[in-house]
Amino acid sequence: MSAPLLTHRPLRRRLLDAGFYAVTALSALIGVFFLACILVMVASRGLSGVSWSFLTEDMSQSGAAGGIFYQLVGTLILVAATAVIVMPLAVSFALLNSEYIKSRRLRALSKSMLFLLNGVPSILFGVFGYLLFVKALGLGKSWLVGALMLAFMILPTVTVSVMEAIDRIPTLHREAAMALGLNPPKVIWSLVLPSSLQGLITGTLLGLGRAAGETAPIMFTAAVFSGVTVPDGVVDNPILAIPYHILNLAQDASSPEVLRNAWSSAFVLLALSLILNTLAWFLRRRAEGRRAI
Amino acid sequence: MAPDPAATPRQNVDPKDKPRIYGPFGLFRDPRLEFLSVTRLLAYAFSAVVMLFLAALVLSLLLGSLPIFREQGFWSFATKPEWNYRRQLFGAASMLYGTLVTSFVALLLAGPLGILSATFISEYLSGPLQSLIKQSVELLAAVPSVVYGLLGVITLRPLVHKGLGFLGAETGDTLLTGSLLLAIMILPTIMTLADDALRAVPKATREAAMALGLTRRESIWTVVWPRARSGLISAVLLGLGRALGETIAVFLVIGRSDSRLPKPLWDLSALLAPGQTLTSKLGSPELAISYSDPQHWSAILGLAFLLLVTVAVIMGLGLSLRRRPV
Repeated sequence: MSAPLLTHRPLRRRLLDAGFYAVTALSALIGVFFLACILVMVASRGLSGVSWSFLTEDMSQSGAAGGIFYQLVGTLILVAATAVIVMPLAVSFALLNSEYIKSRRLRALSKSMLFLLNGVPSILFGVFGYLLFVKALGLGKSWLVGALMLAFMILPTVTVSVMEAIDRIPTLHREAAMALGLNPPKVIWSLVLPSSLQGLITGTLLGLGRAAGETAPIMFTAAVFSGVTVPDGVVDNPILAIPYHILNLAQDASSPEVLRNAWSSAFVLLALSLILNTLAWFLRRRAEGRRAI
Repeated sequence: MAPDPAATPRQNVDPKDKPRIYGPFGLFRDPRLEFLSVTRLLAYAFSAVVMLFLAALVLSLLLGSLPIFREQGFWSFATKPEWNYRRQLFGAASMLYGTLVTSFVALLLAGPLGILSATFISEYLSGPLQSLIKQSVELLAAVPSVVYGLLGVITLRPLVHKGLGFLGAETGDTLLTGSLLLAIMILPTIMTLADDALRAVPKATREAAMALGLTRRESIWTVVWPRARSGLISAVLLGLGRALGETIAVFLVIGRSDSRLPKPLWDLSALLAPGQTLTSKLGSPELAISYSDPQHWSAILGLAFLLLVTVAVIMGLGLSLRRRPV
């Protein structure tokens, strides 16, 4: 399907064809160039600073020296808590849509609510979390509030993944389950949930990959720049987090040591995000391969 | 005569022999008690939490901004450019301008570039090179915004300052810098979604066009793009949505200078000056400062509500423009 230059056509058509090829090729080159630049820059400037001590040392001199240990711990706490919160919510919403709500209009309504939630800018999650949980409910800055906001932010991604997985269950399997005498709840627990597990995990990993790097939802609700190590409760228990750390370092861009640490932190964050995304992609490929059999 | 089986009345079963499988944990024998399923209750309860969250978010922003709207009027709030909390001046117009200008300039740059690149990748490439590039683009759509922000600070800011200084840029923190950074950020998103949209056009359609003697370009222009149009518009729209809501990257490079609204509105030199967007204001330390002053806090929530409304209106308009595929 190549041969962009056909020799037996009028000149104008040939020129247009070749010109279009050139224009689109140039666009793709520019696009890929920008993206390659980003990766190369983060890797080249950040890799040199990443070492075992960087990952396990505490921060010192307000980020100009030391490592990002407690930032890493904080991000991992947020990621784990977000996963725990989002999974039951997403599965429930998906089950509601596929099993319990029969009316097509209600289903469309709930799907549009999901799209609405997906379209809310991430800073508004931060503002709402600050307004309601940090201030009105008096919880103060807390890792749990941050995880809650992140969970609702990635909920649409996870829910759609679970819904797709449930839709893939063949009607034959459902009929077989019912023929074996399972009542509706048992059908869900014995058939629907196990079959959708892969979709749930893939969707959650994708969402977590995004949640790990988000700053806006956590900067007013959970993260501080320094002074905390590991939380020992829920109320008034902020944590350190890598994205917020990078944000603060980026505002002090004149000092070269701070900058180097900023790039190294960015490298670690990118690596974390990429690991989660690649894991999700890998699991999805494996499941698709098994399904194709 | 043997009793006719068809005429036999339904046997009365001893109640103790009826299976106990209905209701939660299978406690009941009456099938009518099925509705008490614990699973269903849990599913409804959790889903209600989700819907409650969304409602609470919208309502709390609306209710929180009512004081400032009641004092100033929504229209005045949205059209006055002066924002100075120390002098109790709360006007969102300069920030609304910043948001709209940066996002639309970013869209102008990244939209066509993204669609053309996606066209090249999905139409002219094949095999391992195509999947390599496609996967790299997808991976790059997942880069956190704070990393883009760092890149903007280190690379883009000095570039704009030195490169466009002759045009009047006094510092590297300008609306244009924000627009360029946003364009780079939404490019992978648009490319990935546009590629998906183009892929959805069946191969047979392309082959039919080629069989009729159309060149590659002609078949793309007359057949593939029209078929993929709604998907392409979605791709661009989602990129716009991301640009409108982006906080961190914009916060770092926009200059955060209030009350800048060009007169006349279409004066492009404002692009080379620092500015402020709704998101950069909401992401600034002013949020925490404002909590102590109820008027100020209400104005900040007014900004948040305005952002929500702006995103909703623009996305709604865009979605309505999406016609069904040809």
